[in-house]
Formats: sequence, C-alpha cells, structure tokens
Amino acid sequence: MADHAAHALEPNPTARAFCLTSAFWFAVATTAGLWAAGYLIAPDFMANIAYLQFGRLRPIHVNLVLFGFVTPGLLAAAFYYVPRLTRTELFSQRLGVLTAWLWNLTVTVGIVSLSLGFSQGREYAELVWPVDMLVVLVFALVGVNLIMTVHRRREPVLYVSIWYVFAAVVLTALTYALGNVIWRPDTGALLGIPDAILLWFYGHNIFGLLLTPLSLGVAYYVIPIVTRNPLYSHTLSLLGFWSLLVVYTHIGTHHLLQVPVPTWLKVVAIVDSIAMVIPVMAFLINIWYTARGKLGEIHADIAGKFIFTGTIWYFFVSIQGSVMALPQVQRITHFNNWTVGHAHIGVLGFAGMIALGGMYFILPKLSGKPLYSRFLADLQYWLVLIGITGFLVILTTVGLIQGNAWFNGETVYRVLPEIHLYYVLRLSAGLAILSGAYIGLYNMVRTLFFNPGVQA
Amino acid sequence: MYFPYFIAYMLAGFIISLAVLFWALRHGQFQDQERLRYLPLADRSHPSAIKAGRLNRLEGYLMLGLACAGLMCTAAVLFFTLWRWR
Repeated sequence: MADHAAHALEPNPTARAFCLTSAFWFAVATTAGLWAAGYLIAPDFMANIAYLQFGRLRPIHVNLVLFGFVTPGLLAAAFYYVPRLTRTELFSQRLGVLTAWLWNLTVTVGIVSLSLGFSQGREYAELVWPVDMLVVLVFALVGVNLIMTVHRRREPVLYVSIWYVFAAVVLTALTYALGNVIWRPDTGALLGIPDAILLWFYGHNIFGLLLTPLSLGVAYYVIPIVTRNPLYSHTLSLLGFWSLLVVYTHIGTHHLLQVPVPTWLKVVAIVDSIAMVIPVMAFLINIWYTARGKLGEIHADIAGKFIFTGTIWYFFVSIQGSVMALPQVQRITHFNNWTVGHAHIGVLGFAGMIALGGMYFILPKLSGKPLYSRFLADLQYWLVLIGITGFLVILTTVGLIQGNAWFNGETVYRVLPEIHLYYVLRLSAGLAILSGAYIGLYNMVRTLFFNPGVQA
Repeated sequence: MYFPYFIAYMLAGFIISLAVLFWALRHGQFQDQERLRYLPLADRSHPSAIKAGRLNRLEGYLMLGLACAGLMCTAAVLFFTLWRWR
C-alpha cells in the first residue's frame, strides 16, 4: 500500500500551513453549514442569537468554504507542485508562511464581520471593503511568490498545471477587485441592473476562474503520477486551458435570464455556457485517457481516489451548468434548490474533493512519513461522497418540486410543507460531510505533528 | 450606464490573456509537447504505482456504476424538464 511506502521529506512550510488552514476551516465551514440547515427545518432555532441568524450564517458558510477550505487546499498543492514542475525552490517560504497567516487573519476578520452584521448584501460578495482589500492583498502575495518562483525556473517550458495556477491567481485578483466594486468603499456596489450584471460576472467567475483552474492544475499533476502514465496529451490540455479562458469569462449573465439585462449579453452568456463543453471535455478526455486501465490503481491511492472522483463530479456539474443556462430548462430549475444542489456538487464534489486529494497527496511528503491513518482517510472519502451524493439527489428533487409548483402557479407557502422532509434529509447528508471534515482534520494534524510513522 | 464596467472587465481579461499568449508564443511554450507529457513523472518522491487489490477494483467498478446511475438521473431530469413542461 502507498501509505506504508517511504516518502522523501519535503520541507515546505508554506504548503503545510495552507494544508492546515484548509483542514481547519473545512470543519468550521461545515459546522456553519449544518447550523444554517437547522434553520431550514426549524426557523426559530436559535431565534434570539442575532449573530448566528440564517442571514448571517449562510454567507459565513459560503465564504468559509470558498476562501477557508477549498482555495487554501488547492493552493497547498500548488505551493508543492509549482517548484517541482519548474525544478527550483519556492521563491520565499517566509513570504508563503506570512501569506498563510494573513490568509487566516482575512478569513477570521471576514466571518467575524459577517456575524456582526457587516455585509455588502451581494451574493458571494458579502465581505465588506476592508476585508476585500485583505483578500486582494493575499492573492497578490500568492501571485508574487509563484510568479517569482516561475521566473527563476530551470525548466524552460511550463507544464499545464502552472498555466492553470497563474490563471486562477491573476484573474481572481482582478475579478475580486472589480466584482466587489472596490473603488466604492462605502457600498461596494453599483446601482440596480448594472450592479447585478457586475455581481454575476464576479459570482460565477469566483468559482469558475478560481476553483476550476486550481482544481484542474492539481488533477493534471497528480493523476499521471498516481497512475504512472504520462499525460495523454499536453497539447489537448493547453487547448482546454485557452478555451476555458475565452469561454468562461463571459457566462455570468446566465444567472440573470429573467432580468431586464441587454439581450445580446444574455445570448453571449448562453452560447458560452454551452461552449463550456469544449474545455470541460478537453480536460476530462485527457485525464480519463491518462487513467485508462488504471482504475484499480487509482482507488488504491487515497489522493488518486479523491481526485478522480472530483473529475466525475466535474463532468456532472459542467453538463448541468451548460443545460441550466438554456432558458427552457432554467424556467424550472432557477430560484430553487436545484441551483443549491448544483453549487454544492461543484464546490464540494468537484473542487473540494480535488483539494482533499491534493492535500492527501502532499501530506506524506511534507511530514516525511506515511499518512497517520489510511482508514480515516478512506472513511472521510466515503462520508463526503455519500453526503454530497445525498445533497445532489435531495436538492435536485426539492428543486424540481419547487420549480414545477411555481411554474404551475402554486404559491410559495403551500409548497413549503411539502419540502420540509427533504430539509431533514439534507441535514442528515450534511452530518456525513461534517463528520468527514472533522475526521480529515484529525488525520491531517496527526500526520503532520503527532505521527508515529517511520521517517524516510 | 452599465457598459463601462463589464466592458472594462472583459477587456482587461482579454488583454491580459492576449499578452500572455504572445509571451508564450515568443518563448516556445507550445513546443516540446511530447516531453511535457512526462514532466510530472520526474517527481521520484512518490512511491511507485500501487498494485490494485481486488477490493480496489471492486471500488472502482462501484464508482463507475454510481457515475452511470447519476448520468441516467441527469438525463431523465432533463428529459422531463424539456418534454413534460413544454
């Protein structure tokens, strides 16, 4: 088994710090999510505690998952593989560790400010201006460290994973600054429809141009190593990369098809949403062909297992995303729990699974010892997988009930009792994910700090 | 007046992408593609490929079955969305 094999020690405090950051905030984020799910079953739950109300917990959960769990997890892997793929050292470990501390400070200030009621009131862009500036700063610091590393590279040609990391960091710094309207610190917003358009450019790209490229970068690095197969086609991977850049940046307006935004913009958004099939299939064909005939080997390696499963979720979420952009489909699936299910399989099923896989890949190298417990890692895998599959089934079903009812003129309050049971089921699926998060945190901390395994 | 903001956004992304593309072209980033396929394998710190046990293969098939079931559910939902609620 891999976990009993020797691992060379890789002193990389930056990757280590980002791993711990991700594992810790994953546990906190799922706790906040579970708490919020409680309100959907019993709206008076914790009724007198203002800073834990649903309206505050929901953005806390979303921002924690995005900036606390998934992004740092994927960055931890990037801080490991960028120096290796460029055959050089990370530009500055000190800067990397400082960035990780600042990252945690940013996340902490963000959730405290949200719980105190400081919010811009824009979905996915709730964080207030001072926190926005911290977010831009930490992305800039990550960018500087990685750009300088690549600048000092000894490998002249860049592997596709590095392209993806740079796209993620550079475009997110830009997306975040523009999407949060940072030139208007008092509101962090424009007015009316223009604000909606800008917000959804941001809202979609903060996932599509941050989590997606970072996740694909990890998969392109780990899957060939785990299978001991060369990448099926590096040219195809670059085709996927450039087509993602061309297509993904314009699709945010598919969130606004029922809104009076310019028709040409809606058309661009819909056409590009369908065109997303090109970069998605370029990636999936490449990875699945690389893994061809090695399904058993992938499942024997905990990192490969997480990441390969993430690619399957990527397939589902991308197909969903493309067809959801069609007005004919969206009139049933929009403004209800279908979209919530879609978001969960995208962020946790795809990017979250790959982040966990990336961390499990590098942890033995960072500690120089085998994983503390392969059993606990397997347990986390199944808990998260069962939880996220449950989310997909439950939320898709609820979404269709809601969409069908509203499409046929039924009122909201008459639908709510029908879907109450599904919210209870959703909470139970969330419990599986919560358990997985805490088990993963324990396993990762034990692997790094209290690991009785033999040093290589 | 909403145009300046998202035109600026799209233009900024476009210009950065174009600049990077030209840099890549000038610096031979699209050459030597065959060698790059093997680049991750130069990482010798990972233990050699793990021999799959029977359980791992079963797990793989189980996942494949789950993926097919999910795909069929998605297809069914789309079929009903497009056909049932025409």
